[in-house]
Amino acid sequence: MSLVVAGVNHRTAPIAIREKLCFGKPDARSALGLLRESGLVTEAVMLSTCNRTEIYMIDSSDDSVQLIRDIFSSRLGDEASTYMYVQRDREAVRHLFSVSAGIDSMILGEAQIQGQVRDAWEESREESGAALNRLFQTSLLVGSRVREETGIGRGAASVSSAAVQLSKKIFGSLAGRRAMVLGAGDVAAIALECLSKEGVRVSIVANRTFERAQVLAAEHQAVAMHYDECWENLHAVDILLCSTASPHPVVQCAHVAPALAMRGDRPLCILDIALPRDVDSSVGDMENVFLYDLDDLKAAASANLERRNEDIPAAEKIIAAEVEKYWQWLAGLAAVPVVMEFRSQMDRVRAEELASAMRRIGGLSAEQAEGIEHFSRALMNKFLHEPSVRLKAAAANGRGLGVVDAARYLFALERADSTPPEDKS
Amino acid sequence: MIVIAHFIAITCYVAAAALAALPFARRVEAPVNGVIAVLAAGLIAHGFALATLMRESGSGSLTGLGPALSFAGFVLAGALFLVEVFAREVSLTLIAAPVAALITTAGNVTGMHPFLDPRGTQAFWLVSHIVLSFVGMAAYGTAAAAGTMYLIARRELKSARFGPIYRFFPPLDTLDRVNHFATVAGFLGLTSGLALAGAYSIAYRTLVVPQLVWGLAAWVCIGSLALGRLLRGWQARRAAIISAVTFASVIAVFVVFRVVQFNRGQFL
Repeated sequence: MSLVVAGVNHRTAPIAIREKLCFGKPDARSALGLLRESGLVTEAVMLSTCNRTEIYMIDSSDDSVQLIRDIFSSRLGDEASTYMYVQRDREAVRHLFSVSAGIDSMILGEAQIQGQVRDAWEESREESGAALNRLFQTSLLVGSRVREETGIGRGAASVSSAAVQLSKKIFGSLAGRRAMVLGAGDVAAIALECLSKEGVRVSIVANRTFERAQVLAAEHQAVAMHYDECWENLHAVDILLCSTASPHPVVQCAHVAPALAMRGDRPLCILDIALPRDVDSSVGDMENVFLYDLDDLKAAASANLERRNEDIPAAEKIIAAEVEKYWQWLAGLAAVPVVMEFRSQMDRVRAEELASAMRRIGGLSAEQAEGIEHFSRALMNKFLHEPSVRLKAAAANGRGLGVVDAARYLFALERADSTPPEDKS
Repeated sequence: MIVIAHFIAITCYVAAAALAALPFARRVEAPVNGVIAVLAAGLIAHGFALATLMRESGSGSLTGLGPALSFAGFVLAGALFLVEVFAREVSLTLIAAPVAALITTAGNVTGMHPFLDPRGTQAFWLVSHIVLSFVGMAAYGTAAAAGTMYLIARRELKSARFGPIYRFFPPLDTLDRVNHFATVAGFLGLTSGLALAGAYSIAYRTLVVPQLVWGLAAWVCIGSLALGRLLRGWQARRAAIISAVTFASVIAVFVVFRVVQFNRGQFL
């Protein structure tokens, strides 16, 4: 028995490959079914997100990895093994725990992956068993623990979330704050979405093309207008989001000054996420204007990412401890079928020898025969008790599967299926 | 016992400030509950010290430089504790807790000897004046601390620097609200305290000129600030600058008065 993970991720495969190897729910189910039917795999879970497609499995043969390579290659229409990685046993456990904790994510510490791990496990429940159920359950706990006990998930790590964080540093809660957006492209729409989630009310969408402004305005129940009309409303907003495709700055001091005069001491936050910049840099020198361009937002995000990086050793320490705990549990679980087979084989020998002895002795009363039967059982139980206990203990305390394999060899138990039984709980 | 309790209180205030400063030394969040608990322990010890002093002196008087300074430290720490409990925000501790520790230490160095020993109604009147005045001054100090932090945080945000101050300081809006609330509370406290002092002077025919000048100066400063905020709509930066500058001036005037005046045993 071996715990294996095989797959591709953002480190090993470019997006063009990853998007082809992204499995939807029905595809994932049929791929897992194929693995199960092959008889090479006893449990399997597929985790497929935009950054990774991985199959975790309990296999009984090395051929299982080749089967996964075949499945991936067939989906890709080309040889997939170039992009694939395979990890076994403790390394496979460590890998999933790192994934769940966000250490293996493209944006270090991102929290979305934990929900994706949970969904993957839920979706694959039919194909998973005790070992993988426990593995995924533990990985979710490890992910939560890492995020709670280290700073790996703290602070904004993307430009949009940095924009939200900066706005919050000025206004506190953003609920009820008003925003105006210049430009109606995709980048503006994404940034507005982030602000809206925090309770910001988008009141004006201004764009060179009025029709495009109308579309975005309709999504946020805002008013659409042309650039030329929007300046007289600037005094009423707290956040100005600029994301036009203009090659020259569209926001000048002359546009902002009248609004500032009407706003009194209230601060105005200008988020310029356009490239080239939309806001003349001298606007940032004006009183009560907080101007941030793309570089500033990236600097804020990377400052947080730097902090997150410093928390990796602490996160890895937690993961290493949890990997050992899981591995000890798994090894203990693997000993159970061996012990059962061991006892069953000994009982078969006992029954055969007892029957043979009964035939040789002959003429025993029922009471005497029962006494001898009882004696043989008691003797066998006494003989087997200590080895059974020690085998389970050795497997569970870290000496691991080596002891279990030795027992298999010594007592000729090669037939014993070491796959842990279904988790009845 | 009074000295030991004061020592414990001062230690707790310094420890609270150190705990609040943890994010500057290590990349961790400030332990809000820890800071509040340590500050509460300091307040208990400080309250015990003042209660023992009042019991031993046989009156309710907090007069005299040492007791008055100690009480000022106690009220400032109390105001800080309330802000932290309600706002769940401990960055103000960085400034206010060391100030409370410093004032309390100064009180103890001066000596915990009550200057006046009034009895009955006179004692109650005097204590009410002292308590209200110091509550007003503590709130004024809180407003100044919040204003100072506002100016520092604002400079960091304007220049797009994302260091420890950016991470640890509360939002500008929160600091502005604390400044606003503390200014109004300080104005009310100081007005009541001075009104009681005026009535006390008339009733018992006592007048201490330095106290009168300093108290009125402080009242005019915080009064201007409070009225500016309430009636003229002063906000944010202007209020922060005025509160920080005027409070520093008021403290400077107190120090000057203490240096030049001869009545060493009195608060002023």
